[in-house]
Amino acid sequence: MAQAARIAIAFTTAVLLAMPAAAAPDKDLRWAQLNMEQQKILEPLSSQWDRLEPQQRVQWIGVAKRYPKFTPVGQKRTQTRMKKWAKLTPEQRRQARENYRRISKVPPDRRGDLQRQWDEYQSLPPRKKPAPAK
Amino acid sequence: MNEAQFAHRIRHQLDLGNRIEPRVAAQLRAAREQALAQHRPGSEGEVALAGAALGRLGGVRVLLLRVALPAVILGIACATTFVWQQQQRAAEIEELDALLLSSDLPIDAYLDQGFTAWLKRRGSQ
Repeated sequence: MAQAARIAIAFTTAVLLAMPAAAAPDKDLRWAQLNMEQQKILEPLSSQWDRLEPQQRVQWIGVAKRYPKFTPVGQKRTQTRMKKWAKLTPEQRRQARENYRRISKVPPDRRGDLQRQWDEYQSLPPRKKPAPAK
Repeated sequence: MNEAQFAHRIRHQLDLGNRIEPRVAAQLRAAREQALAQHRPGSEGEVALAGAALGRLGGVRVLLLRVALPAVILGIACATTFVWQQQQRAAEIEELDALLLSSDLPIDAYLDQGFTAWLKRRGSQ
């Protein structure tokens, strides 16, 4: 029985120790450790990669994993926007994701061409622009 | 004193023992019977003794089976759920980032709180 208890304790300890590793794989992935495909996709970030937060690196790896499925236009946009996205604060990124979610919820037939809407919104005089949504 | 003499004296003492008083003999007999009763398998004393021993062992067993084991299982379940949730959350963020970065709109559009409100209001008109 005492042996069973020791095994149980050892097992639990192993699980608890493995948890952080399982929760954040590739945590300390440096630029040199990326494979060629990842380096090619994430090229715009090459000079700042090793200074990025570990969590951000994991997120970029996730984006790189999805990148091949993008349209050629989507791939080009992604690469052009990488540097800007990496420069934002975590709070700004969180806010942008939240707004993306909100905008995605508007049915496509109602929101129309988003690019045209954005252009129209930008051309509005400031007093016609609504107060930020809470 | 040699061996023969020592044996002789022991025998003498034992012979004297035959002459012990009936009251003392009865007490000794009662004590012997009580001792034998306690050593007889299945006797009350034996059961009580075994029960006490099992109780001590059972205490440890009960603690392990009813407390420690479920606690360990619960701990592992919680840890697994936590890790799974973290991974789900991370995957969700990666998916959103991918969609956002490749979307029709520039990043500035998603950073502008007013645009989101304006777009929603327009959509509902």
